[in-house]
Amino acid sequence: MWIAAGRAQPEARRPHFTDIAAKSDFKYKTDNNFTGRKYFPQTMCGGVAAFDFDNDGRMDLFFTNGAKLPEMEKTDSRFYNCLLHNRGDGTFEDVTAHAGLLGKDLGFSFGVAAGDYDNDGHEDLFICNAGRNALYHNNGDGTFTDVTERSGITKPKDLLSVAAAWFDYDNDGKLDLVVSNYTVWTPQTDKICAINGQEYYCHPKIYPSVAHRLYHNLGNGRFEDVTDSAGFGKDLGKGMGVAIADFNGDGYMDVFVANDTVRNFLYINQKNGTFKESGYEWGVAYDENGNAHSSMGADAKDYDNDGFPDLFYNNLKGQIWGLFHNISGKYMSYVSGMSHVSRLSEHSSGWSNGFIDYNNDGWKDLYSSNGDIDDVGQVSRQPDTLFENVDGKEFRDVSTQVGADFSRPGFQRGSAFVDLNNDGFPDLVVTSLFERPRILMNSADNGNHWLLVNTIGRRSNRDGIGAMMKLTTGAGRTLYNHVTTSDGFMSSSDKRAHFGLGSEKTIESLEIRWPSGVVQTLKKVKADQILTVTEAAK
Amino acid sequence: MSLGTSLVIGTGNSEARVGIGYRAARVSKRFRRFCFCVILTFFASTLFAQQPDAILQHAISLHQAGDLDGAIKAYRDYLAVEPDSLQARSNLGAALARAGRYEEAIAEYNAGLQKSPDNPALLMNLGLAYYKMGRHAEAAARFERTVTLSPQFKEQVTLLLAACYNNLGRYKDAVTILSPLEKNKAGDAGFDYLYGTALIGAGQEGGTAVINRILSHGDSAEAYLLRGTLELTAHDRERARADLEKAVSLNPRLPGAHARLGELLLALGESERARAAFSQELALDPDEFTSNLNMGVLAKEDQAYVEARRYLERALRARPNDPGVRYQMANVDLATGNLEQARQALEGLTKESPDFAEAHATLATVYYRMNRAADGDRERAISEKLMDQRDALPAGSKPR
Repeated sequence: MWIAAGRAQPEARRPHFTDIAAKSDFKYKTDNNFTGRKYFPQTMCGGVAAFDFDNDGRMDLFFTNGAKLPEMEKTDSRFYNCLLHNRGDGTFEDVTAHAGLLGKDLGFSFGVAAGDYDNDGHEDLFICNAGRNALYHNNGDGTFTDVTERSGITKPKDLLSVAAAWFDYDNDGKLDLVVSNYTVWTPQTDKICAINGQEYYCHPKIYPSVAHRLYHNLGNGRFEDVTDSAGFGKDLGKGMGVAIADFNGDGYMDVFVANDTVRNFLYINQKNGTFKESGYEWGVAYDENGNAHSSMGADAKDYDNDGFPDLFYNNLKGQIWGLFHNISGKYMSYVSGMSHVSRLSEHSSGWSNGFIDYNNDGWKDLYSSNGDIDDVGQVSRQPDTLFENVDGKEFRDVSTQVGADFSRPGFQRGSAFVDLNNDGFPDLVVTSLFERPRILMNSADNGNHWLLVNTIGRRSNRDGIGAMMKLTTGAGRTLYNHVTTSDGFMSSSDKRAHFGLGSEKTIESLEIRWPSGVVQTLKKVKADQILTVTEAAK
Repeated sequence: MSLGTSLVIGTGNSEARVGIGYRAARVSKRFRRFCFCVILTFFASTLFAQQPDAILQHAISLHQAGDLDGAIKAYRDYLAVEPDSLQARSNLGAALARAGRYEEAIAEYNAGLQKSPDNPALLMNLGLAYYKMGRHAEAAARFERTVTLSPQFKEQVTLLLAACYNNLGRYKDAVTILSPLEKNKAGDAGFDYLYGTALIGAGQEGGTAVINRILSHGDSAEAYLLRGTLELTAHDRERARADLEKAVSLNPRLPGAHARLGELLLALGESERARAAFSQELALDPDEFTSNLNMGVLAKEDQAYVEARRYLERALRARPNDPGVRYQMANVDLATGNLEQARQALEGLTKESPDFAEAHATLATVYYRMNRAADGDRERAISEKLMDQRDALPAGSKPR
């Protein structure tokens, strides 16, 4: 045997993605009704949610859509929202009409958040709109009912809501709702911006900032708007992506909201039903030069497996995507430069994003759906990017090495991480303006092992959203994740907590800290399975 | 045409003229002292066997003939016995400066100024030495004092002072002193470049007219640099790129051209090429402000804090007290955990520049990290108010 001293080990095979959307018969295209006039909300269209609406064990897909402007109505099928049922054979069927989710009575739809707010075991949907927002209750029979009015989830007139997240901020076992809002807007108040006769999408500065809103789940399908009393009303932003995590490890979920051209907000849970906006203290309000960027998508996960969730937001070309490393639950250190994220991201205008361990090596990688805000540049249509995590320290761009379907340029917007075929490797669903979504299946062919944890709360919320997990492999490696459906921009992902295990086949222990405070430890867990864990009584 | 070159030539001539102009003054006193020295050393040295004026004349001749080493030695020999001679001191400084030995030249000029603090010629030569070293703040102070003391130096000094102002980012001051000269000097390439730089830097009208004036004489790297700068300011990045690349290709040694191109590349998100451009600028002039500042910021973003400090300190030397550089230094302090140092720097900055919203924001973070919540809240409120005011400015129809 020849031994090459000092030679690096050959890299593991890199999985790739293949778009299977064409195999399915559905009409949905992301349609922002661009016909020449540039209405402000047209840049944000195509939210996506991955959730199992019929509890058949296979994740389904839901897409939001635009509306005819200036009427701001879903006047015909081009603008309907879309629910795709996962048949389990690589195809999807459009069941929107049957489910009652066309959204004909909604305006221009943006983000979507999936969560079982009434703990009945069926995932519900909340949809953000220009016009009224909508809460759809899953009836458990393949249909949904619009329960917005009786839920008490209201908002000030003409507020444009972009994204939302379900989480249980007071650990009372019921999912509450946070909604990021951008501005006050109607087609009639839309501004026209042009240079030399050429119209551009206006700079956000031209529109007023607004407060994000928090709704407390009272039970029995009722919510109370606690925006002001909980401390959300004071700070005005232009909300985009929402990320949920327990940043300081106190057992209560905190909220990060990425704001467009306004400082970002980090609401630290005070454990008494209120929050303190602490972006300054934590160093995430601005980049390290004191600049507010066009922050778009947001995700909070632990990319270096040190036990504290970190933060990732993306923004437009020429700005620097923000990667923040959580320093022992005390504050964040801006590490975009050192981790190479700044250099890797400078050519891309990002929208949805997130941490995704696409190759199951145990290190969460960085994904971003990209595309310019406007179509006036030569490189407005952009490919998505995937930055591979190298030992939790830095990232390298592997975007061009994960398949041609992944690299298709476009005006990409929403994205969801989801294991559609339950093979333990995360797949990707991405929307693009004017196009059908891509359903990108992970080739799952590098031999790495994995674990998917499906949490069922009893004292905690039934989804187990907020449950913190620490996995120790047979070799003693520790990995961390938590349950959330909210990531990226306008999107909602597979709620099952995912762990890539690399070459390891054994799991020494899995510790779950539930929102209720119950700590549950499972020993000697088998790898390569979808593990359903029901919350222990104590 | 290169401003840098034309100024250097002008500077050399000025030094020579000014230095030699001292010749006739105060001969008798010097002569008496010199005779005393000659008596003491008559048999020891053939040099001192000569008449003192002859030594000085010899030094001047060598100086004029370009034998700088010879001239410097002769001036020093003379000053050994005539230490109060301002003429010799000034000429020695000029010779040292022409030889590129600026620190020594400055020492000689300062020695002369100790004896005659208001001597305009010495002040001007001292200013020139500082200018050549890229110490524009110190140069500007001497030029300003020169003009105040002796208005007859104004014509010689104004362009140099304007160049200093431009280098210091004091574009409005440059416009103020150059505007009255436009009538007579328009069409002079050196003047037009300085004036165009000042107008564009100050955000004032008239830059395009000056650029067109320069271009009317043919292709000019300076004109493309100015036009590229104007376009960069107006966010017209495609045109700016074409013009700045042309400026660099026409004259790769044009001061500031690589730095401006680097700024554009940064704005375009091409940081590696920007780094290369800044490095090229710094190879030409290690003290260039813009490149040092940006390289410092890039190094800071890479968490290369030692390197960042080195660049930022150089930038601070080029523009002492520049608030932007000091802010970046404070950010390095914050990132490296030097909270007390960051606090002091940011408190100073916000006191001097109360509208510096970013500095207030960072100071808030520093206070919070120091567990001074009330101070943090105060700075945060100030920062937010300032940013709100900024956001309230008309957005116009600028694309994002």
